[in-house]
Amino acid sequence: MLTTLACAAIENALNLLLDKEPSLKLALDQVKHQTFAVEIRDWHTTYALTFTGRQFMLFNNYQEQAECKISAHLETLPELKDPSVMTQLIRQDKLDLEGDLHLAQAYSGAFAKLDIDWAEHLSAYIGDAPAQLIVEKGQQTKACLSHSATTFVGTFTQLMQDELKVAIHPLELQQFKQHTRAIKQHAAQLEQRIEQLLNR
Amino acid sequence: MKESQHNTTDFGYKTVDREAKASMVADVFHSVAAKYDIMNDLMSFGIHRLWKRQAIACAGVRKGHRVLDLAGGTGDLTAKFSQLVGDTGQVILGDINNSMLKVGRDKLRDLGLVSNIEYVQMNAEALPFPDNSVDVITIAFGLRNVTDKDAALRSMYRILKPGGRLLVLEFSKTDNEALSKLYDFYSFNILPNMGKLVANDSESYRYLAESIRMHPDQETLKGMMENAGFEQATYQNMTGGIVALHRGFKY
Repeated sequence: MLTTLACAAIENALNLLLDKEPSLKLALDQVKHQTFAVEIRDWHTTYALTFTGRQFMLFNNYQEQAECKISAHLETLPELKDPSVMTQLIRQDKLDLEGDLHLAQAYSGAFAKLDIDWAEHLSAYIGDAPAQLIVEKGQQTKACLSHSATTFVGTFTQLMQDELKVAIHPLELQQFKQHTRAIKQHAAQLEQRIEQLLNR
Repeated sequence: MKESQHNTTDFGYKTVDREAKASMVADVFHSVAAKYDIMNDLMSFGIHRLWKRQAIACAGVRKGHRVLDLAGGTGDLTAKFSQLVGDTGQVILGDINNSMLKVGRDKLRDLGLVSNIEYVQMNAEALPFPDNSVDVITIAFGLRNVTDKDAALRSMYRILKPGGRLLVLEFSKTDNEALSKLYDFYSFNILPNMGKLVANDSESYRYLAESIRMHPDQETLKGMMENAGFEQATYQNMTGGIVALHRGFKY
């Protein structure tokens, strides 16, 4: 039921987007009433998206026939933003596709071309200046976060590489353990001999 | 549920004449029609929308289909089906109760859904359609109010096209003891008071709770569907079995 609730929320968001971006409606007009199903391999479930000409309908746990069905892991899905990489992903076995490839490309292309003017939409509720300010701050924050993430990944990689140089190889560790065991054995033998000499 | 052989049937926990049940159920729905949607949201905490979404997902409705939304009430399923079937398809919103049909028609017209919806007052036991004429039939929260459920299922089977399917979304039986107790307390103590407060009608909501308890359980309804001729009859429980979605095909 939670998945159904999440689907309902995403469907509402998509329909809101459809109201705000008429270009999306135009881009998908050719594929209306055709169902595009996406099987997410990690979750073993299929989601189906249908554009009816007025609204999107999104269903989870879909078991009916769809005009186009793709199957991929979650990590592959963001790559589908670019319709031209689809055939490449299929060749790499990262993507399975049954049905009409053009339907998948139409959806992929329509969402990739979206250029949402958030400031314009937000200005209807809070006015032009605050909307512009919020959007600019948002963009700055996004850029800052992106920069921080890149820096963090770079630093972390460097640290790991440095650590790699310092850290001993498992074979060296094995050799060290063998030496230690041999020294321990010699020390025990020596101790025994000293005791024998003292007892004479 | 006991369908007596002596011309009596159940109306909630009461036993009434078979002929009287339809008009008594009609009285209930005449009474609740105006507040039906708001009460549904309040009573189920909005979960009825998720149950209906699942029914729509399982209906397999496509462009050009002819769909019968039986006991369709205020048209929640019809609103979605109307868009899925497109201009070349048709949705028939059928209900035995004129008040419910009027509320449904007004709601759907307000949503701008007019071109492919037909409104027909009908009795599920004797559907006014030719044999093999409908692709999909749904009956959501309506079958328990039908006097002769077997006759209704046979009638649905008759009008379905080969390859067509029936979906029955209905309250059912939960096998979780704790949930069952909680559900009983809610149904018989809170629900009627909620009905009194919002719709000024506690009796209709007491009938609702009683009629749910008298409705056949999951396996019995599945058997009834099979007896009517449906093949591959299956069901899925939702919200711990409080509601079940039955599905059967005609081949």
